[in-house]
Amino acid sequence: MVSQTDREILRAEIRSRGDKLNAADRENLLKPYLPDPADLAPANSTSSTSPRRSRAGTSSSQRRQKPRRKPIRTFLKSQLYRLTYAITHIFFGIVVRLLQAYHAVVDRIFAIVYHHHRTPELIRKDVRGLKRLPEHLSVILTLHKEDDALAVLMDEVAELAAWSACAGIPQLSVYEKSGVLKSCIPALHQIISTKLASYFGTPSQQPSLQLFAPHHPIHGTAPNPKSDTPSLTLLLLSSTDGRETIVDLTKTLAEMSQNGKLSPEDITPELVDAEISEITTQPLQASGRGVSPLKPEPDLLLVFGPFLKLDGYPPWQIRLTEMYCTGDRNHGMTGYGEAVEYQGFMRGLWHYAGAQMRFGR
Amino acid sequence: MAGSMHLSRLRRWFLASPPIEFAITNLKELLVGALRQGPIPQHVAFVMDGNRRFARSHGIETVEGHNLGFEALARILEVCYKSGVKVVTIYAFSIENFKRSKFEVDALMDMAKVKLSQMAQHGDLLDRYGAKVRVLGRLDLLKPDVLAAVNKAVDLTSRNGDRVLNICFPYTSRDEMTTAIRDTVEDYSTPLRPALSANGPARTPFSESHIAHNIRAQTLGSSRPQDTHSDSESTSAESSAQEDDAVLRNDHASRVYESGSSFSSSTTLHLGGQDGHHNKVAASGNTSDGDSPVYMSPETISRQILTDHMLTKGTPPLDMLVRTSGVERLSDFMLWQCHENTEIVFLDVLWPEFDLWHFLPVLLGWQRRISKSRQNPDAEGNFAGDTPETSEEDADNMVLRQTKVKAI
Repeated sequence: MVSQTDREILRAEIRSRGDKLNAADRENLLKPYLPDPADLAPANSTSSTSPRRSRAGTSSSQRRQKPRRKPIRTFLKSQLYRLTYAITHIFFGIVVRLLQAYHAVVDRIFAIVYHHHRTPELIRKDVRGLKRLPEHLSVILTLHKEDDALAVLMDEVAELAAWSACAGIPQLSVYEKSGVLKSCIPALHQIISTKLASYFGTPSQQPSLQLFAPHHPIHGTAPNPKSDTPSLTLLLLSSTDGRETIVDLTKTLAEMSQNGKLSPEDITPELVDAEISEITTQPLQASGRGVSPLKPEPDLLLVFGPFLKLDGYPPWQIRLTEMYCTGDRNHGMTGYGEAVEYQGFMRGLWHYAGAQMRFGR
Repeated sequence: MAGSMHLSRLRRWFLASPPIEFAITNLKELLVGALRQGPIPQHVAFVMDGNRRFARSHGIETVEGHNLGFEALARILEVCYKSGVKVVTIYAFSIENFKRSKFEVDALMDMAKVKLSQMAQHGDLLDRYGAKVRVLGRLDLLKPDVLAAVNKAVDLTSRNGDRVLNICFPYTSRDEMTTAIRDTVEDYSTPLRPALSANGPARTPFSESHIAHNIRAQTLGSSRPQDTHSDSESTSAESSAQEDDAVLRNDHASRVYESGSSFSSSTTLHLGGQDGHHNKVAASGNTSDGDSPVYMSPETISRQILTDHMLTKGTPPLDMLVRTSGVERLSDFMLWQCHENTEIVFLDVLWPEFDLWHFLPVLLGWQRRISKSRQNPDAEGNFAGDTPETSEEDADNMVLRQTKVKAI
């Protein structure tokens, strides 16, 4: 909100590395843009413990008088603000609804045009033109509140596993906050196998599936390195693998340090990284199946929800992860979160392929 | 090409003409004032991405791009603080950025130094209007002259009001988390003895019953956090005094242990419990032996303790993270802080162009969602429903603000 002329002065000043104007000049330049001290007084009076109260204390009496001088104007102003707030939100709401409707229509069209028809060839065709594919795809799913929520969730996981296997993504991790999936790994494995059979047909053509969660044994068959069928590793994550894991690591480290086994200086990002990564790769290595090197950090994180919220996703691993949110499509109509649909999955992959990869910002 | 240049010049002349400028300024003020009527995120983080690309696409030097980026920052800070955001965290420089060309790194450092020392010259103004400036990151990686400017600016603004500007200067989130872990470990491996004996009464040497109690504690394990409350009532005055002391410190530094967490086994510390009449298990691993050092139990480490060891300690939880320039990655920024209820927004605009007009829809969307989730907190996928404390806090703030508005 600085006027153009003043801006030019400031820019020229910056170019000369701050020796054109002295402090007083700059203050004069700034003065018109600063709020009236009286406006700040109520905000400051809440923090009466600050040491500079002593200086301001002398003028506080007259400050308190000041707002009384123009009560009508301030009242009108606040009413105007409130009115503007209401109007902006009405307009914003209309725009959001229109955009939602538009996106919903586009989404439906996509859903018709790009339908997988449970044929791996079609899915492969959809990803053929892409410049790159994530090696490790991660998905955030939410457990809904209906009675059959778990069944729906497991079916979603199975669908995602099938699409990933078709698209040639070797590793998929599914995050669900409560961790309910971890308690039914055998059943989930069964469901995914059935789903894969419905996509690929005979078991010989099916991709080999490994399903596991941190601190849980691996469920599934080891990939056969000789066969050319794709393999899929599915990792289940929950909120306990997030901050709680880091807390656990800290506990262990603190205990070691208390027993004199480790000095705090030994704790480096590399050490933490190794320890945290091991949690997601360890079961594979322990069973001697570490044929394919597993990537602990996902390349792409798909969020099926109205807006991008990590919801307790493990923080350490997502340093360089691309994030994609399918967005708010049918939120207003069905009343709950996004359904996991093929076109959302595909849009995420396209988005990822179009992104510019730059490490270190 | 020439036509578009003329057009842009004409547009700039039009926008710079006094009446238009006046109108835009007032419109912005009106919008910001209107924003203040609704809920407002308490803590917003920005990744100021796109300065270099802006410079490249506009054919100016990279350093100029960074200067324009600083202007954009000033603009957006004004919007944030005027609309009621308490804490703004910006990603100014990553530890990884040291890998960039020496010229650029030096120029950035120079810019930071000039800005910070200029800030220091306006002591009086900052006193009245300024926010607290805090610099988060690996300060030991800075050159001495920049470090001096940083320290001066931080010192000078430390007495300012309740608004905070966190500048992440040489920062990466992994480094921050590691440092937090290291500091926690260091805290927990410093013997407790001196601190406690200074306050509490002299302790009796160890007794048989206590050793037996400890053995029980170790075998029964630390998996009984619920017992602690009833337990603390039955302890002697001595240990309750220590508990008071602990509570006090919990209030002060809030890192001795977390009392309210339901997740980790937050057992209370019973170090002086030499009395044999309570049979329940207290804390594990506290060998309050005469000679060997006494440590806090590692089991008391919780997420809150780690949060309090992060560089952002003492700030409200991160409500919103905005990254410009369309790169949809966190790039090692605020990983710990943003992983729960933070709304992450990626905008396809370069940072030097970033203004209220880009930020407004984001804020409006946030307000809309918050007010909606307040109306029916049971709805799925809501925002504040998961964290009732914060939304209540927001509500309180809102009420406060409204009364404030009325008071004006």
